[in-house]
Amino acid sequence: MAERDSSATEQARGEDAEHHRKATPGALTGIEGLDFILDGGVPAGQPTLLRGGPGSGKTAIAMTFFCHGLSQGEPSVLATFDESPEALTRHAEALGFPLRQYLDQGLGRILDMRPDRSELVAGEAFELTALLARIGHALDALGAHRLVLDAIDGMDESFRADSSLRAELARVFDWIRERDATTILTAGEENDFSRRYGLEEYIADCVILLKQEIRQRRMTRLLRILKRRGGGHGTNEFPFLLDQEGVFLAPVTGTRLEARPSAERHGTGIAGLDAMLGGGGPYRGSSVMVSGQSGTGKTTFAAAFADAACRAGDRVLYLSFEESTEELLRNQRSVGLELAEHIAPHGSGRLSLQPLLAVELGWEEHLLRIMRAVQEQQPAVVVLDPASALGDATESRQGKEMLLRLFYLLKREGVTVLATELLSDYSGGVSRLDVSSIIDVWIKLSRPEDGRNLRRLLNVVKARGLPTSDQIRGFELTHDGVYITEPSPQGRPC
Amino acid sequence: MSDKPVLRLYIAGRTPAADRAIRNLEQLLEDAYGDEVGYDLQVIDILERPQLAEDERILATPVVIKELPPPVRRVVGDLSERDKVLIGLDLQQPS
Repeated sequence: MAERDSSATEQARGEDAEHHRKATPGALTGIEGLDFILDGGVPAGQPTLLRGGPGSGKTAIAMTFFCHGLSQGEPSVLATFDESPEALTRHAEALGFPLRQYLDQGLGRILDMRPDRSELVAGEAFELTALLARIGHALDALGAHRLVLDAIDGMDESFRADSSLRAELARVFDWIRERDATTILTAGEENDFSRRYGLEEYIADCVILLKQEIRQRRMTRLLRILKRRGGGHGTNEFPFLLDQEGVFLAPVTGTRLEARPSAERHGTGIAGLDAMLGGGGPYRGSSVMVSGQSGTGKTTFAAAFADAACRAGDRVLYLSFEESTEELLRNQRSVGLELAEHIAPHGSGRLSLQPLLAVELGWEEHLLRIMRAVQEQQPAVVVLDPASALGDATESRQGKEMLLRLFYLLKREGVTVLATELLSDYSGGVSRLDVSSIIDVWIKLSRPEDGRNLRRLLNVVKARGLPTSDQIRGFELTHDGVYITEPSPQGRPC
Repeated sequence: MSDKPVLRLYIAGRTPAADRAIRNLEQLLEDAYGDEVGYDLQVIDILERPQLAEDERILATPVVIKELPPPVRRVVGDLSERDKVLIGLDLQQPS
């Protein structure tokens, strides 16, 4: 099906990479983040090796590739060398794919290639022709060009004594190219199978490595593209999620990647603050941070912003790291914000409130869950309240790096971010998140004591591309919202 | 005759290994059963009949499957190691 001439590809290999990139189209795996970093999927009509230890997710990824083809009406074949066809079918169903249905329809086929353990070996010269004949037969019968060979290291067991396996495997890979079958082969790390037979260096066109690492005492799944002939690829390790919702990898899509800086602006829900920002609030797609010590009213600024966005017809994803949904709704009701109006099923459904306990998950997992929610809900605005809960979740630099990456990813998706930052009482009002480089609008709240009275003060530290007021203003939290008051006569807050 | 062993040898094209396997197996069966009971050997080229390879879940060739008498036994390779083949197929030693 893919239009590719293998001899032309051989020639193109010698030519410059830029040319070849166009000559080797990708086949989508169905995992958007992976297709994105692979520059459009695994190389069409060629073998891709997926290597990882037990439980690293290689079968889940291969299965997603298989089922994605089927879900698009593309006939596909899977040959298993380790798990039984029934176990694999259940695996696919656990990932949410109706595989049994596809198999019953005759759209897909699972071939059982598990070695027969009772089989005795007598004499030499094994040939894998039988294996190829069976796979070829199934591909022909279905008209399929999408193939998975799961756990090919299972072959090692049946052929251990045979020194010709290396040559035979090379033949399998050549055969795949001749058949123009886009193929994912998975192999474990045991016995160094793929290196022993030179699969990575010589044979596969694309090699993806999976591993698990303990970071912050939490397990993180990582994926790395080791090699991608005829295409660019990221060299970084990409964390990914694997659960009942399937495989998820950030960066997510390229769909909104091209989003140009917008001239449109969001109202902040606080008239006086809009006025301080030149009469319109921050630009769409920009990042806003509200910093302040405990009790300065950060969450109310976030809630007012979310409320205003919902009223303007935007979808808002509000991630609350410290307050439960009920607490947030109750507390903001006291300052005149009725957020429940925007929440389904009784409200408009524009606001999605998600309480997340920062300590519950590893930071990578947080980032991926947030990006997955963004992909599912396509909000115009994401509120992180407080973002410092993520940054502080670890004492190392990683929390800050993760926040930077999160801001970056959200920005690339064209999402407006409003984050609050809790400054500790001893911080002297200095931000510790080190994310200022990516923040477009930075608002600082404070509550200095001057003997008898408590005053609430606000100033705009920076506002890229907006005319701003340098003045320090006061503000009041009233039963019907936030009111900005006249410039403070006392000057700078301490 | 009821004792007559029934065997199928699966090959993938007429490769040197396939030819050796046919030769080795025929010789072995001839020695063991040739004069008295006889034997039933069918050579199947899976390139011509791939569905049979699928049905028998054949991974490597040549492979001989002894269907009768039970139990079913399989031996893979060019069958050059005569003793191993006899043991593997659970056939009687030629006297």
